[in-house]
Amino acid sequence: MTNRPKRYALAIDAKKCIDCKACVVACRAENGVPLGKSRNWINEELRGDWPKLMEVFEPEQCHHCEEPACVRVCPTGASYQRPDGVVAINRSECVGCRYCMIACPYDARFFRDDLGVVEKCDLCARRLDRGELPACVETCPSKVRIFGDLNDPTSEIHQILEKRQYRVKKREAGTGPQIYYLL
Amino acid sequence: MKTIEWQYLIVSYLFLGGLSAGLFFVSALTELFRNDGDAPKVKIAHIGALLAPWPVMIGCALLVFDLGHWYRFYKLFLHFRWESPMSIGSWLLMFFIGVSILYAYGWIPGSMREAAFERLPGHLQFLRILNRDVSGWRRPLAIVGLPMSVGVAIYTGVLLGAVQSRPFWNTNLVAQLFLFSALSSGCALLILVLAASARKFEIHEFQSLYLLDISFLTLEFFIVVPYVIHGELSAEAVRESLNLVLGGPFTILFWAFFLGLGLLLPWAIEVLEALPLLLRHAQLVPRVDTATVAEAGTAVFILRDPGGQAPSRKLHFSRSWAVAAAVLVLMGGVLVRYIFVFAGQMSAIH
Amino acid sequence: MNRRGFLKLATGGAVGATLLQAEACGMPLRQQKVAKVPAPRLEIPTTCDMCVNKCSLIAIVQGGVVKKLNPNPENPKSRGMLCARGNAGIQQLYDPARIKHPMMRTGERGEGKWKVVSWDEALDFTAQKLSAVKEKYGPQGTLWSSSESFQEQFFRNLGQAFGSPNSVRHPTLCLASVNLAYSLTFGTVPSFDVQNARYIIMSGANRLESFITPDTMDLVASTTDRKARLVYLDPRFTKTAAKADEWYPIRPGTDLAFILAMLNVIIGENRYDKEFVSTYCSGFEQLAEHVKQYSPDWAAEETQISSKHILRVAREFSDAAPRAMYYAGRRSSWYRDDFSMRRGQAILNAIIGNWDRQGGMVPNAKVELGELMFLPWDDPTAPRVDELDRNFPLAAKGDGVYLRLRENVIAGQPYPVKGWMVYKQDPVSGIPDQDKTLQMLRQMDFVGVIDIQMSDTAWFADVILPESTYLERLDPVEMLAGIRPVVVYRQPVVKPLYDTKPLLEIVQGVAKRLNLSQYFDYTMEQWIAEQVKALPMDLPLEYLKKHGVYSSAQFPKYGTTLTPDHRFVTKSGKIELLSRRLQEAGYDPLPIYHPPTQVPEGQFRLVLGRHAFFTHASTTNYPWLNSFSTENTLWIHPKPADSLGIKDSERIEVASGSGSIRIKARVTPKIRPDCVFMQHGFGKHSPWLRLANSGGSDAQLLETAWDKVSGGAAMHETFVKVRKV
Repeated sequence: MTNRPKRYALAIDAKKCIDCKACVVACRAENGVPLGKSRNWINEELRGDWPKLMEVFEPEQCHHCEEPACVRVCPTGASYQRPDGVVAINRSECVGCRYCMIACPYDARFFRDDLGVVEKCDLCARRLDRGELPACVETCPSKVRIFGDLNDPTSEIHQILEKRQYRVKKREAGTGPQIYYLL
Repeated sequence: MKTIEWQYLIVSYLFLGGLSAGLFFVSALTELFRNDGDAPKVKIAHIGALLAPWPVMIGCALLVFDLGHWYRFYKLFLHFRWESPMSIGSWLLMFFIGVSILYAYGWIPGSMREAAFERLPGHLQFLRILNRDVSGWRRPLAIVGLPMSVGVAIYTGVLLGAVQSRPFWNTNLVAQLFLFSALSSGCALLILVLAASARKFEIHEFQSLYLLDISFLTLEFFIVVPYVIHGELSAEAVRESLNLVLGGPFTILFWAFFLGLGLLLPWAIEVLEALPLLLRHAQLVPRVDTATVAEAGTAVFILRDPGGQAPSRKLHFSRSWAVAAAVLVLMGGVLVRYIFVFAGQMSAIH
Repeated sequence: MNRRGFLKLATGGAVGATLLQAEACGMPLRQQKVAKVPAPRLEIPTTCDMCVNKCSLIAIVQGGVVKKLNPNPENPKSRGMLCARGNAGIQQLYDPARIKHPMMRTGERGEGKWKVVSWDEALDFTAQKLSAVKEKYGPQGTLWSSSESFQEQFFRNLGQAFGSPNSVRHPTLCLASVNLAYSLTFGTVPSFDVQNARYIIMSGANRLESFITPDTMDLVASTTDRKARLVYLDPRFTKTAAKADEWYPIRPGTDLAFILAMLNVIIGENRYDKEFVSTYCSGFEQLAEHVKQYSPDWAAEETQISSKHILRVAREFSDAAPRAMYYAGRRSSWYRDDFSMRRGQAILNAIIGNWDRQGGMVPNAKVELGELMFLPWDDPTAPRVDELDRNFPLAAKGDGVYLRLRENVIAGQPYPVKGWMVYKQDPVSGIPDQDKTLQMLRQMDFVGVIDIQMSDTAWFADVILPESTYLERLDPVEMLAGIRPVVVYRQPVVKPLYDTKPLLEIVQGVAKRLNLSQYFDYTMEQWIAEQVKALPMDLPLEYLKKHGVYSSAQFPKYGTTLTPDHRFVTKSGKIELLSRRLQEAGYDPLPIYHPPTQVPEGQFRLVLGRHAFFTHASTTNYPWLNSFSTENTLWIHPKPADSLGIKDSERIEVASGSGSIRIKARVTPKIRPDCVFMQHGFGKHSPWLRLANSGGSDAQLLETAWDKVSGGAAMHETFVKVRKV
C-alpha cells in the first residue's frame, strides 16, 4: 500500500467495541500516561430517541499518518516518522511549542505539564521492537483492533483490508491516516 | 481541539512581532523613498527605527516562556526545516532582530552615543569598540531589513495558514491579513507617539503616516471581506468554522470590535482628518504650505495653493482624533490576532 | 596558554559538554550518577483477582517493581485479554491508602482513631475477643462473613473449627436465585456455550458492560459476525442493548411473563424438542397445562412488549434450537420472584433441548485436583442464626441469607450474635439498607476485619488485619469449572510491600491462640503440592510456575450426560420441569407469575447495575478506574426530569423508606421513564478512600427485601422519590 518496507497500521472493527476502557487503562499502565490525559480514547455517539436508541463506540488514537502534519511543522525535528510508519516523538528534542498539537487533525496529541513536552500514541514502539503487540491491541477483550504490517500479505491486517470495506477519518485533512475503520 | 494550547502569550507575541515589523517597514520605506532634507520623513524614520527592535524582542521573550521547556529554545537554531513555518520564522526573527538593532543603532544621534560611552564604568571600557558611527549603514540596512520585516509580519499568518486541520485558518488570506494589520499597527504606533508627545505638531509627519495607514487599512479591509465571503463559498469545514464569527462566540468581537472599532472607525477618522490633504494629493499638488495656529488640542491649518494665491481652505487637525484613531488600530491589531488564535483552535474538520 | 590553563579549559569544556549532553538526553542534572546496568525484565505468570473471573496474566517486573500486567494467551477462558480492571491491578498493589500494618482502634467505633500494632498484639486481641464471645454466648455467637477468594476456605474453616454455624457469603446478594433454580431443575448449574449459539435471549445480564467474561467475548464475536441473534430485555439501554439485534425496555419484574408466554407458544405450537423432553424430563404434562393461561396477549399487557414480538421471538427461538439459549445471567438479586423467573428460564431451556449440546447449556466440566488431608473438626452443633432450615430450607447452607440473618441478629433472636469476623467483604457498602447494617455492627462486642484497604466496614472495625494483595501472594491452585475448565496458578510477583500477611497465615495466627492449630498445621506449599499431584504432567508445579495455567485439549465435550442411564442430581433423576423438591418444601413446583409491585404515583423504581471498570464497591479507589467516573449519577428519563424541573448534572435528593442521599442527576433517554438507575460502589464514608463522600450509596437507599425461596436479596424492589435541591 505504500513504498515503505514495513508499514504498521491499525484496523478497527468498531462494531465490536463495548467501551470497556481496557485499552485506555492498558495504555496508561504501559506508557505512564498521567491522569486527565490520554493517548487513546473512545468516541461515543448516542443516536435516536426513546425507545429507538442506538449507540456506537469508536476507539481512536494517533493515526500515524502517511503525510503527518505534526512532523512537517515541528521546528526541531522532535516529531519524526520511523521507517515502519510509526510517528514518534523524541522527548529530549521537544521544546514544547505545541505547534504539532494544533496541526493534528485528530487532536491526538496532548501536553505533559509535568514534563513540558508533547506526547501521543507511538504504537508502543518499545513493545513493537520486542516483537510484541501494542498494549491496547493485546488487551482488548472484544478483539476490536487488528494490528500489523500492511505490506506483509500474510498479515491479518493486510488480509482483512482486502476482504472488507473500510473508511478513514477526516480524509479532507489530507494527511493519509492509517487507522482503518472497518465498515 | 481538546484544549486551547496557544493563548495570550502567543497572541501577544503575534501582535508585538507584527508591530515591530510594521515599525521597521514604515521607517525603512520612509528612509528609502524620501528626498534629502525632508525633515518630517526623517523624523518618522528616526522614531520608527528606534522603536522597532523592542516589541519583537519582548514578544520573543514571551514566546520562549510559552514553551514547555523554555531553556531548550536554542534547539530551534540547531535545525532549519523549511517545511515548518515555525522553523523558518525562528531564523527570520533572529536575523530581523539583529538587523533592526543595528539599524536602530545607526539612528542614535552621534552626540548621545558619545556621551553614553563616556559614562561607562572602568571595567566595561572594552565595550568602546562598539562606539562607531554606523549611520551610513541606514540605507543598506533598510534595504536588507525591508523584506525581512515583510517576512516577519507575513510568516505569523503563514504559521496559522499552513495548518490544514484548523479550517478557520486554512487560507493564505490569513498571512496577508496579518501583514497589513502589522503594517497599519506600525503606522498607528508612530502616529500615537507623535501625537501624544509634547512637541509641536508637524502636519507633514501626519500626512505621510495617515496616507500609509489608510492604505494599509484599506487593503486589510479588502482581505477580511473576501476571507469571509470566500470562506462561506468553500468546503463545509470552512463554512462551519466561520460560524464562530457568524453567530458564534466571536461574532461581536469580530464585527463590532475588530472590524468596526478596530478598522473602519479609525479608517474613517483618518480619512476625514486627512481628506483635504488627500484630495490635494489626488490632485497631484506637490506640496502644501502650512501655517499653524494652536487652539486647545486642535491645530488649524491653512492650505495655500502652490501658486501662492490666497488661502484656499481651512482644515482642522486634531491631536485627540489622531490618538483615538491610533489606539483603535492598535486595539484592532490585538483583537484580530486574539480572535484568530482562539477561534482557529476551536475550529476543526468534522 | 600553559598546561594548567589548558587542562582547566578542557575539563571545564568537558563538564559543560556533559551537562549539555545530559540535558539533551532529558535527564535531570541532579540524578547524573554512574549509569546502572538495567535490571532484568521478568515475566511472571499469575492469576488476576480484580473480579471473580480469575483471568490469567503475566506480570512484567523490573527491579522489584511491577511495570505492567499483560494478558496470558494460554488460558482458554480469558483468551489472551486483560480488561480495564485487570490492568489496574498495579494500582491495587501500589495504592498508598492500603492498610500497611495491623491496626486497632483507639477511639469509638467509626471515629477513625487507629494505632498501629504488631501482628502479635492484633492476633492476641482477636483471639481474646472471640474467646470472650464464645464464653458468653457460645461459638454460635460469632458471625463469619466472607467473599470468594482462593484462600477463602481457610477463613470459613476457622469459623467452623471455632464452632460457629454462621457463615454468610456473597451469593445471597447475587447468585442465589439463579443457582438454586438451575440446581433444582438440572441438578447442577451449567455454563452457556455462547460461542456456538445462534439465538440468545438475555434478561438484563448486561454481559457487554457489567463484566468481562468469556461469554462477553463470545457474545461480541457472535453478534457482530452475524452468527447469533441477540434479543435483550432491560429497562435500561445498556451497552448490551446497543449491540443487541432487538432490545425491549421490558417493564421491570415481568420477565417471567415473557418466559411463560414463550413456553405457551412453544408448547402450544409443538415447537419443543419432543424426544428430549420424553427421554430426559419429568413433569411435562403439568407444565403444558400450567402455561396454557399465559398467552402472548396477556404477556404483552404485563411486559409492555407487543404480542407480535413475543410470538415471533418464541418461534425464532425454537427454530434455532438446540443452538438457542435463554441466558441465565449471574446476578439474580432483582425481584422478590427472581427464583421463579430463573426457574422459568431453566424450564424453557430444557424443553427446547439445548442441554449438553453445542450452542446450548453445558454442565461444567472439571479438572481433578488433589486434596491435602487435614484434621477434620466436629461440625458446629448449634443451628444457624438465620434459621435457614425453617425459613429457607432450600437455600445454600454455607452461603446463608444475609438479610434474614441481619434481621435476626438485630433482634437478638433466636440467640445473640456478638462477634463478627469479616474477610474481603464490605457489608456496609454492599448490603441493602445501610442503617440496619450499621445497627448490627454497633451491637457487636467485637468486629474484626481482614481486608487490603480501609473499606467502609473496616472503618468500623475493632481490629484490622491487613491481607497481602494478590500480586504479593502464593495461593492454593484453583480449578475453574466450565465448558473449558482450567487450573490457574497464583504466585507472588513481588514481595509484600508492607507488613501484611496472606490469609492462611492470619488464620493460623488466630487459630494458634484459640488452640485450633491442629486443624491448620500445613503450609501453603504443602497444600499446593497435594493439589497438583492430580495433574497429568511430570512436574506439575514447575509447569504451573512457568505457564500460570493448565487446560486440557479434551474440552469442550458435549453430550456427556445425554446417555440413557444418566441420572441427574434431582429427586426423580431427570430434568425436573416440575420440581419435586420445591413441591415437598411447600413452594410452587412450577413457576407462577406474580405481577411486580406497582410503582407508586410520583415515584420511581430504583434499578442497579455494574460497569466493567469497577468491581462492586471495592475498586472505586483506583484512579486509573475511577478517572472514568469519579462519582455516580442518578439516571432519569428526560420526561419525568422535565416535569420535576431537574436538569442534567444538577444535584438532587433521592429518598426511599430506608434513607436518602444527594446525588448528581444524569438526564438521559437511556432508561424507562418509570425507573431510575444508579451505579453501585459510591458514596463511601471512609475518609481513607479517594472517593469518600463522592456520589451516593445505593446501600443507603435500598430497602430490605428478599426472594422467599432462595433468600436472595431483592434489590430492585425499592421505590424512590426524587426532587430538586
